[in-house]
Amino acid sequence: MKRLTPEEIVEYFNDKLKENIKDTKIERKTAGKKKNEFCTVWLKVDKSVFKDAVRELCGIDFPHFAVASGSDMGDYIELMYHFSVYYGERLKEISITISVDLPKTDLRIDSICDIIPGALISEREIQEMLGIKVEGIPDNRRIFLPEDFPEGVYPWRKDEKGPQNLVRDMYE
Amino acid sequence: MKKQQLETLKKSLWVFHMNTGSCNGCDIEIVAALTPRYDIERFGMMLVGTPRHADVLLITGPLIKKMEDKVKRVYEQMPEPKVVMVIGNCGSTGGVFHESYSVAGPIDKVIPVDVYVPGCPPRPEAIIDGVAKAWLKLERLEGKK
Amino acid sequence: MSEKTTYTLPIGPIHPALKEPVAFEFETEGERIINVDFHVGHVHRGIEWIGMHRNPVQILYIAERICGICNICHPIAFCRAVENAAGIEVPERADYIRVIMAELERIHSHILWAGVAAHEIGFDTVLHLSWAMREKVLDLIEYLTGNRITKAIMAVGGVRRDITENQYPTINSALNYYKENLDTIKSVFLDDKSIQMRAKNCGILTKEDALKLCAVGPTTRASGVKKDVRVDQAYCAYGDLNIDYMTPDLLTGEVNGDVYDRIVVRLLEVEQSIDLIEQCIDMLPAGDIMAEPKIPKLLAMLKKVEGDGIGRAEAPRGEVIHYVKLKAGDAPFTWKVRAPTYNNLLPWVPMLLGEEVADIPIVAASTDPCLSCTNRAIVIKGNKREVLDNEALHRMSVEKTRRLAL
Repeated sequence: MKRLTPEEIVEYFNDKLKENIKDTKIERKTAGKKKNEFCTVWLKVDKSVFKDAVRELCGIDFPHFAVASGSDMGDYIELMYHFSVYYGERLKEISITISVDLPKTDLRIDSICDIIPGALISEREIQEMLGIKVEGIPDNRRIFLPEDFPEGVYPWRKDEKGPQNLVRDMYE
Repeated sequence: MKKQQLETLKKSLWVFHMNTGSCNGCDIEIVAALTPRYDIERFGMMLVGTPRHADVLLITGPLIKKMEDKVKRVYEQMPEPKVVMVIGNCGSTGGVFHESYSVAGPIDKVIPVDVYVPGCPPRPEAIIDGVAKAWLKLERLEGKK
Repeated sequence: MSEKTTYTLPIGPIHPALKEPVAFEFETEGERIINVDFHVGHVHRGIEWIGMHRNPVQILYIAERICGICNICHPIAFCRAVENAAGIEVPERADYIRVIMAELERIHSHILWAGVAAHEIGFDTVLHLSWAMREKVLDLIEYLTGNRITKAIMAVGGVRRDITENQYPTINSALNYYKENLDTIKSVFLDDKSIQMRAKNCGILTKEDALKLCAVGPTTRASGVKKDVRVDQAYCAYGDLNIDYMTPDLLTGEVNGDVYDRIVVRLLEVEQSIDLIEQCIDMLPAGDIMAEPKIPKLLAMLKKVEGDGIGRAEAPRGEVIHYVKLKAGDAPFTWKVRAPTYNNLLPWVPMLLGEEVADIPIVAASTDPCLSCTNRAIVIKGNKREVLDNEALHRMSVEKTRRLAL
């Protein structure tokens, strides 16, 4: 597939996923004396088409998966998967972030490990840090927290399931 | 160190290094103390791989909850007389990680500490100074026996 | 028939943070490894949680102490994330100074790694030689920033200290020292027969695996994948400089993806860094070094910002990415850190399958695990749990070298 500009990428996703794209944003920043540009595309998709969105992204160019981050927004959790495409040629890379909103009543998302095996560690992390159930994950164990860390406590959450009771201040 | 104290040296110190979750800044300064610029090996000190042979225990890092038992076990495995040195701010008072759900407190909550070397990270000269103080303490302890 | 015994992976005894690195489990048949599994998490300090409770300037101090060896790239990535979220424009001079500091850190880190890799193979002399050489760049860093390890030179919106013209002679003399002595290290590593026998065709990572497992840094460039944040993306001043991907075929003419190629890539990068610093010094523009020098004003401005920002940088080990979500308030709403070693953990599995147990230290060290993200490696082999500690496994690795040298 030929190299697309950021606007064409957004159009491509809009064509394939139609009304399941909730929001798009294109950001351009410059740096240095020559003011070279780098571009970030932000896409918010409905959780039912999340895996299709990742497949479409692989159709553009096999992406580099950087990390998955999550924010506790109160009633829902906003998950963001950070990718980048078109690496390999000078100054041509475009960063793409696909974000999904998961309501706290139904915290499930599909695993993308069959498409991108390198996503395993990030998926294990969001499972233990946010309490999300990743369906189809090949390896279900905890990764960073110790085995005796209490169940049901999720460090990135800001509600009652956060680690408030475990915090110690050494200066006291 | 005065000359007569050096003369009472009976054996060279063997050092065991343990990392309880540090960022490794202190650890690379410890290793830099061994390299030719600062060269602590000229005093006969060397790093050993097991606590059963060691006289001095060097600990870095804020004590993470997962490492508490291991620190206690290593301390018990060391033969008397022994000296414990905490290197860096994290082990002494918590440093920047003083408030977190994953740290179990400064090292002296778990094992008795003899020498603190503050700094983030302390320079190799400060570490050598700390080991010299540990040396003197060890001489004193051995003299009492 | 396979048996399992417990080994503890070394990267020691005199390797920093050797204790409590990644915990591996290996299943072996005789001397060959047939299955690999690993456990991490022994250095988990809850940094992301701490970040939700401190203001951006305090977070800079924590970002530096995520890792003591690569402590310019984490603050750069964090500052870029905040600057992208808040729309702060960094002055050009600050961009160039950031590049100079980042390249100095790369030189120091690669020479440190060269010493450690030599120690794993059994050449302690090279360890002492390279660490003695490394002191020169640490002196230069101390001259420019005031400290050897935690430099505290980054700030949101620029850098804290300037480089003046009367500092140029010292910088140039340090760079000349490295240019003269780099050939020594190169010939020690690349021409030595024992290192070639141990390192060639050992720990191979194919290009396909490197792409699918999203490996980063010299590990992936040694397999032929051209991935380097400095070249792909115009961050700081890299867009103005003359820079290219460093792959092993630039020196040896072929790409195998083994341990030898990773050594080649790192040594090439040291040369590249020296060249980049010289380019920066030539092109250094005049101007301010901080977008907003008054910190209280900066903090007051950041309190009102709402937005998301991603900051990426190229650490000596690979890509570092920080994601910051700012909402009105003192502390960021979310802060996500991903150090490069996390992406390089999964490639350990295909690299180690089929290798001998005595090769574990050199293969694991060849990916340059950033110790504060890694953990003790326990090889579980067989039904009896026989713990061989660091000394034993390191001894096995050294003995293999002696056997090959005879």
